[in-house]
Amino acid sequence: MTRNGIYSILALAVLLLSIVPVGMAVFLLGFINGDSPCVMCWEQRTGMVLVALTGLFVLRYGPRPKYLGLSVLLGAWGVFMGLRHTGMHAARDVGQGFSLEILGAHTYTWALFIFWVCTVTMGVLLMLLREGEPPTEPRTLRPIESLAFGVFLIVAAGNIVQAFASTGPPPYMGQSDPVRFSFQPKHWVWSTEEWSPAPVSLRGRWAIEKPGVDGLPADPASGPLANLPVLPIREQRLLVLPLRGTITDLAYEPATNRFLVTTQAGVYITDGSLGRVAKYTIVDPGYSIDLGQFAGATFLERKIVMAVGENKSYVVLRENDRADADKNFRFFLESADRFDEVSRSRLGTVRARMMYTMSLAFDPATRSVYTLTVPNAKVKRLVVSRFDRRDLTLSEEFMPALAPDSGLRLSGDKRSLDEYYVTGATVDAGRLYAISAAFNTLLTIDLATHNLVAAHAIPGLDRPVGLTIKGDDFYIVGEGGGLAVVARPVDPGSVATDVAGEQTAGAKAEGAKPEDAKKTGAKPADAKAATPGPVGGVRK
Amino acid sequence: MEFLNFVLIFITAYLIFRKPDKERLAFRLLVLSVLLMVGLFSMATRTGLLPGVNY
Repeated sequence: MTRNGIYSILALAVLLLSIVPVGMAVFLLGFINGDSPCVMCWEQRTGMVLVALTGLFVLRYGPRPKYLGLSVLLGAWGVFMGLRHTGMHAARDVGQGFSLEILGAHTYTWALFIFWVCTVTMGVLLMLLREGEPPTEPRTLRPIESLAFGVFLIVAAGNIVQAFASTGPPPYMGQSDPVRFSFQPKHWVWSTEEWSPAPVSLRGRWAIEKPGVDGLPADPASGPLANLPVLPIREQRLLVLPLRGTITDLAYEPATNRFLVTTQAGVYITDGSLGRVAKYTIVDPGYSIDLGQFAGATFLERKIVMAVGENKSYVVLRENDRADADKNFRFFLESADRFDEVSRSRLGTVRARMMYTMSLAFDPATRSVYTLTVPNAKVKRLVVSRFDRRDLTLSEEFMPALAPDSGLRLSGDKRSLDEYYVTGATVDAGRLYAISAAFNTLLTIDLATHNLVAAHAIPGLDRPVGLTIKGDDFYIVGEGGGLAVVARPVDPGSVATDVAGEQTAGAKAEGAKPEDAKKTGAKPADAKAATPGPVGGVRK
Repeated sequence: MEFLNFVLIFITAYLIFRKPDKERLAFRLLVLSVLLMVGLFSMATRTGLLPGVNY
């Protein structure tokens, strides 16, 4: 293409950029509709104007490398600004956004698109440009090029007016939440809020540390709840299992007298004494959905297990001793012939958003899956999330409160249940039991009232990461492989549920009835353990 | 500050339109405007400089 042809296209591009996004924004949206840009919108608008201005430089002085290079840099910076701004709202619900929506997309989204189009246009024009030295003297402008200059100056002047009214002279600058535009000075709001001190960060609220139990305060007496009764450790031993990685959670299935143990990527089924691995697999955590590191695990239905990563991504596996190893190659790093993958997805939360989890529990009575949050440096909330087993979608979330008649009280005005760091959980008889690695405390939450009805100190635990119930005991496993067995206290308020789903108030969770073992199919030796667990007597 | 930047941009465009021999001054003003824009955007987003999404 001839150089004059390129100049004509460039002049049209400058006109288009000046009139459509910038001119309409200032004259139509601003002066007529009263829209005011936020501080980020102002800089994106400025970026578009500067891209057009580099085009004017090329029209006047020819395609000199410094103008071409600067225009490409401006296009790239504009795309970055658009991404940064769009990222703030990209994950909201359908139709939600900030400020104006134009043709189904909010303004900042259009900014991203426009900068992308600018960059593409620059590339096309450069490809069409014939090789040759740019003119050494300023070019004489043709009419369409003079028109581009004139329109640009009018649009720039309009922006000067709007910027003066909306943001004010220096040192005032754009605002995060600008008031609507007005020509009346009494309505102008000039602000220096953006100059106020604020921490500098690359990822801001998304910079959240991975969870872990190292360094947490272990002494229950220093916890947020005062004068807790103590549950003594009845038995303590080190688990000797051939595991790849460290233990991250523990679950028990009374009906089959088996434990489920997870490591960072491993799923292990052991016998009822935690002495032998019956089957295991190592899940490929990076295939498709990133599972992170397993932090919680539970038995679901018979032969179905679930493991959740600290990032609330999960995998559901079905035991199958005749699984096709070749077919399962994509899912598992080891032992692909013992399990099939049923599903792999993510648990979506609202209150628990921006927090990791280290626990997973299943309540067969309500067919609900539970997770609890662990606090981080930016968000400190103890949130219980309940998911429907059928679609593993969020059903409810709550933040436990102290039950008025529990006798529990905080040890200080500034103390909070949010300080607890729940790393293991299990459900039984309407109660959600949660072990906190911080302050070695066992929390008992009533699932009907959402209240914390009891709490017990368990001194001597070493970095607990998993909790389950077997018989009359809590089994608590530590990150170092230590197993602590603690007798369950009497809980007169718990609600045992029989196989038919009928609830019996006031039953002790371990109220063993031998006939229930027949209903659940458990072996006689498991009768006590199987009692409160309906639908196969799952405990976790 | 946005007001100041648009004044600089207007002057720059006027210079290359009406006084094209002032190319060096105009380009310096252009670079100044670019730096001002980058600085203002960075200041406005300093609590989270990168796009706030999952990485």
